[in-house]
Amino acid sequence: MKTIKLVIADDHELFRNGLKELLKRHEDIEVVQCVSDGEELIKFVKTHPDIDIVLLDITMPNMDGFEALNKLKSVNTNVKPIIISMHDDGNYIAKCAKMGAFSYLLKNTDQEELVKVVRIVSEDKKYFSPNISEKMIDYMSENTVSEDILSKKEAEVLLLISKGNTTKEIAAELYVSSRTIETHRANILKKLNVKNTAELIIKAVKMKLIS
Amino acid sequence: MFLVAIVLSITFYNQFSEVLTNRILQQLNSIKTLKRLQVEKLIKAEWQSFRSSSDDMFHDDSLQLSLPNKVLETGIYDFTKYDLNREFTIGLVDASDGDCRVRTIPYKKIMNILLERTGMGETGESYLVGEDYRMRTQSRFFKDSTPHNIVVKTVGVTNALNNKLGKGLYKDYRNIDVYGVYGLIAVENLKLVILSEIDKDEVEAPLKSLKKRLFVLMFLVIVIVILISLFLTRIIIKPILNMKNSLKEMAGGNYNEISKFAKNSNEINEMFEALADLKKSLQGAVNFSKEIGSMNLNTQYTPKSKKDVLGKSLLKMRDKLLEFRNNEHISRINNKRQLVEGLENERQRLSRELHDGLGPLLTSLKFYIDNHVDDKDLRLEMGKIIDNTISEIRIMSNALSPSIMDDFGVGAALTNFTRDIKKASGISIIFEDLLKPANSNITKNQEIHIFRITQELVNNTLKHAKAKNIRITLSEFDDFVSLFYFDDGLGFNEDHVSLGSGIINIKERVEICNGKIQMQSKPGSTTFDIELPI
Repeated sequence: MKTIKLVIADDHELFRNGLKELLKRHEDIEVVQCVSDGEELIKFVKTHPDIDIVLLDITMPNMDGFEALNKLKSVNTNVKPIIISMHDDGNYIAKCAKMGAFSYLLKNTDQEELVKVVRIVSEDKKYFSPNISEKMIDYMSENTVSEDILSKKEAEVLLLISKGNTTKEIAAELYVSSRTIETHRANILKKLNVKNTAELIIKAVKMKLIS
Repeated sequence: MFLVAIVLSITFYNQFSEVLTNRILQQLNSIKTLKRLQVEKLIKAEWQSFRSSSDDMFHDDSLQLSLPNKVLETGIYDFTKYDLNREFTIGLVDASDGDCRVRTIPYKKIMNILLERTGMGETGESYLVGEDYRMRTQSRFFKDSTPHNIVVKTVGVTNALNNKLGKGLYKDYRNIDVYGVYGLIAVENLKLVILSEIDKDEVEAPLKSLKKRLFVLMFLVIVIVILISLFLTRIIIKPILNMKNSLKEMAGGNYNEISKFAKNSNEINEMFEALADLKKSLQGAVNFSKEIGSMNLNTQYTPKSKKDVLGKSLLKMRDKLLEFRNNEHISRINNKRQLVEGLENERQRLSRELHDGLGPLLTSLKFYIDNHVDDKDLRLEMGKIIDNTISEIRIMSNALSPSIMDDFGVGAALTNFTRDIKKASGISIIFEDLLKPANSNITKNQEIHIFRITQELVNNTLKHAKAKNIRITLSEFDDFVSLFYFDDGLGFNEDHVSLGSGIINIKERVEICNGKIQMQSKPGSTTFDIELPI
């Protein structure tokens, strides 16, 4: 059985050692090297292209985990990064997934889970635990990047304008200040390249932005 | 004016009196001269007729004379002293033929001449006096006495006997002041003094009435002068005094209590207008300095002229104060900013220390347990405790300063924050993140302030408002970011916000960011509209 060659990148020595001790007990996993920041990691990976997995922390001095993820792509290697972080927010998880992380683990993950993930990833498979996936999906659902001309809020404002509401009424309805609505309105006019409300309505209907 | 009246009166009086005196003396002189000539002519005529006739033979008996027995020489004599009645007698004596002829000139003839009183007024008289200073002709005033008994030793007679012609003011035989003219009649042996005199009182009667009239006139002039000066006092002095008082008041620093006065002449009017202008400009300056005093430094003031030194220095003072206040404001804001930033840095440091220092230590501990504790149940239990500790530290760290804000911005931080609050309190809280997804221009410090302000607002609502809904919208535009906060709680009185409710902190943070804040609160709807420039 092929051993899994692994590098640990974390700035806390105690953590690195603890992790190393823990992994040592599994015969199919070999901790090749421990580094304390992203720079050291990149340097090491460049000279050792046979590394399978890197356990990568996000918060590190000199070069943090995000930047290291980016750099790893440009280094011609097979190394598969697994993020192991204290951060449990969807933002971090989504960002790491986007940047090519094969998995995302919290630092207090049980060793069974940890070893399980290392083995799955070593087979070139991405794996996110149900817990982590949920957080990521929550975040993504809240922050859909719209491809529409108008933002979601602008579309709402446009709809309320077309219904004949005044700026003040729209502001009260959408829980924003009057000035915010005025600015939205000005931005909508600019985006649709019209000069006044009448032109705006005509053009919006034509573009099927409102019915 | 008064003096002029007096001087004029006196001069006029003197002139008049001199002229009058001269006129009187001249008149007296001409009367005297006329009478002298008449007397002389009479005597000469008598003498002529006496010499030419020879038949007139008088003896002592026919005459009431007691002539001395010595031989008389030819000539004209004053025989009064020989007359028995001491009546004035002029004797004509011719002793050329050895015989002695004597004739007298009748007293009546002479008296006729002398009694002619044309131009002599009430008290004027002409009379003759002999060498013995005794009167020869009848006195007007002593008609009953014999003239010879009256001694006339006056200045006039004495001068005349010394052959001096003259005129003047002297005392006559009655010891009364008279104007008199005197002359000597000297024919042959005869030596008589002729005098024409008039009482001073009569002469000066018109003068006296003139004097009286002048006095009356002068009195009138004085009265008029006094009245005029009183009038002038009223129309000129009084307003000037009033003005003096007004100026005194103003000098004392009171610019308000200046009443209106009657203004009678143009000059006074103009002076009062000037005074009113002065008052106005001083009051303007006073009001302006009052405004400055109460630090209303945006008050405007236009100097009254290029030389309005007071106004200019007040303006200078205002500008200096304005500059000072601005500097003070800036330094105050800077101090606050430094204080708040120091606080935030410390929070962040502590948060990182917990999250990145203590967290990994605990995970290390967990690995250690995993590695060295063989009892599976014990290992799981210990692991659970450590997991709980880690999640507690994560909450503490996030409360101090969410690390997600550093890595993903205030939008993500607030999303997390509101989600946590929603979970913890069960309140409906919706946060809408309308920040620009890319290339946001909000600075890190602004993000911290926005986060803290929102945190504070939410805490307030949870603590005091008993609201069911919270709506937060954070919108970013090209030049400003808008944080709009709404809750449907009890509301608060904007003027009586208790210090603990954190609104002061919010205002301070808005001020540090040069932003604007508007609050509106009533039961069921409390809104905060905060704008920060970017």
